[in-house]
Amino acid sequence: MSQLENKTFDQKITRRDLIKVFGATAVAGTGIFGASSKAFAKNAQHVVVLGGGVGGSTFAKYLRFADPDVKITIIEQYPEYITCLRSNDVIVGMHTLDELTFNLDTIKSKYNVNVVIDKVIGADYDKKTVRTEKGETFSYDKLVVSPGIDFKFEDYEGYDAEMAEGKFPHAYKAGPQTLELRRQLLAVPKGGTAIIAPPQNPFRCPPGPYERASFFAEHFKKHNPTAKLIVLDPKDRFTKDGPFKKAWERLYGYKTDNALIEWVSGSDGGRVVRLDAENMMVETDGGDYKADLINIIPNQRAGVLAQKIGLTNDSGWCPIERNTMESSLHKDVYVLGDSSIADAMPKSGYSANSQAKVCARAVADTLKGEQPGTAIYSNVCYSLAGENYGVSIAAIYEVRDGLIQPKGESAGVSPITDKVTQPILEAVYQKNWQREFVKDVFS
Amino acid sequence: MKLQTIFASALAFAFIQPAAAEGQNPIASGSAMAWQCAPCHGTNGQEFLEAMPPLAGMPAKQFTEAMIAYREGTRPAIIMDRVARGFNDAEIEAMAVWFEKQPVKQWENTSLTESQNAQKANSTGGQK
Ligand SMILES: Cc1cc2nc3c(=O)[nH]c(=O)nc-3n(C[C@H](O)[C@H](O)[C@H](O)COP(=O)(O)OP(=O)(O)OC[C@H]3O[C@@H](n4cnc5c(N)ncnc54)[C@H](O)[C@@H]3O)c2cc1C
Repeated sequence: MSQLENKTFDQKITRRDLIKVFGATAVAGTGIFGASSKAFAKNAQHVVVLGGGVGGSTFAKYLRFADPDVKITIIEQYPEYITCLRSNDVIVGMHTLDELTFNLDTIKSKYNVNVVIDKVIGADYDKKTVRTEKGETFSYDKLVVSPGIDFKFEDYEGYDAEMAEGKFPHAYKAGPQTLELRRQLLAVPKGGTAIIAPPQNPFRCPPGPYERASFFAEHFKKHNPTAKLIVLDPKDRFTKDGPFKKAWERLYGYKTDNALIEWVSGSDGGRVVRLDAENMMVETDGGDYKADLINIIPNQRAGVLAQKIGLTNDSGWCPIERNTMESSLHKDVYVLGDSSIADAMPKSGYSANSQAKVCARAVADTLKGEQPGTAIYSNVCYSLAGENYGVSIAAIYEVRDGLIQPKGESAGVSPITDKVTQPILEAVYQKNWQREFVKDVFS
Repeated sequence: MKLQTIFASALAFAFIQPAAAEGQNPIASGSAMAWQCAPCHGTNGQEFLEAMPPLAGMPAKQFTEAMIAYREGTRPAIIMDRVARGFNDAEIEAMAVWFEKQPVKQWENTSLTESQNAQKANSTGGQK
């Protein structure tokens, strides 16, 4: 398997890869992995999964572990999935989007999952069906929804979705916007200014904006040392702010006269309220800022699909039963990942993967008429504060008093010590983690 | 406390099937907990090519000793000290027993049938 293993990131195992390694005849039959091509019994129960991203793909794989016989269908709108994980690296040229691109081929062949590429546009909870853009209807016994996030552009005067596709990418879904942001970073003039405006809580990948800020500062340090990054934040605290700020002090002169990075908190007027695109300016509670690059990461809510099919409440997110991830609003419907309200768990890929596993067991148990077992969740987020400087946050979670809460004394961020090995090893683990994680999700 | 003593008392505790204390959840199954380790240690602990150690096939005693030492702060850690503090002795033991039974090979080269047989083997017994 050496050819497959040697690839750093591209761990998707496509048919073409297999043919390269094993030859066409080996691949032609029932599949070298022993994936069964058996037909499902006519009366097999049907679990339909909407969205084949982190939550949806993990769910399908682990439901197959929990139930060898159930019929599983994933409906995903795009033939390929670009992970947000490590997409900040692409902005500074540490990785390419190609290396972050995966598909559902292995999920389909190894786990005997029916994959449909189509966009879901509606659900009928009485008839237990979903409808797609191409006009197909699918019946389900259990429906699992993991559609990611949507952006609240309306919170910013002068900013909209179309501008995000053009000159003002948020780059918070990986793809063309990521590349546009890279182009803009490289084009910041000598001594120029860049702005990153993180969102209000809750939002996808809480350390994401601060990792990105770190990368911008590192880029300036290497290539444009008189340039400066200003982070305009609506919040007074952010995840791992202790270790992040320590790293910024150590690496980017944070809080000195020559700082490459400045952070303006909500209390100091950091909240952005308006974009003046023509004058390359943002208005905040504390005044106006001019810049050469403006990266607003907008406030967020549950994915459009979740809103459209009535799974959200007034908060804009989807309420769930904590032991199973079943929607509190519709029976036999489950919501995973960023869209769900999971209390203490951050909206991360790791969380989506963790929730998918709990849900897979709960769905399998319920279909067999059994009571679901005790739920246990986890999250680990490794971020880079520089190419070789990692910081992390970790926790195991349980359901207590009706909420998902840290279990035992597990919750914690990287300790700040004088040991240089800690951040270096965290950076190594970060890179290892990414490779393992996408395998656990897509293969 | 010496490691040996901690380990011995952990085992003693694990073998008295602990009833959940008032207001506490019954422990999750070994595999439910073990699945949560996969993002770093590979599906079913079967990742043998990265810096994080593989857990598949690890002797249960080794797993238990390591986790307890991480939890008690007697073994140097980057992140496992934080993770281990989320598990009590009985939970650690349940994961240990489950991981010991998993095939010692890379997940990509393991068929679903092989894997399912490994799960069955341990759900019928669970004892070491
Ligand atoms: C810059 C950045 C860095 C990040 N880094 C990390 C990290 O290091 N670690 C980490 O754990 N997390 C990280 N994340 C967060 C992670 O990407 C998300 O939390 C995770 O993807 C959530 O999974 P999900 O299943 O909820 O949504 P997604 O993975 O976004 O999947 C949603 C899927 O649903 C599909 N879909 C939506 N609507 C429809 C429809 N109507 N019909 C059909 N299909 C539909 C979409 O196409 C998509 O494939 C990062 C995020 C960002 C932005």
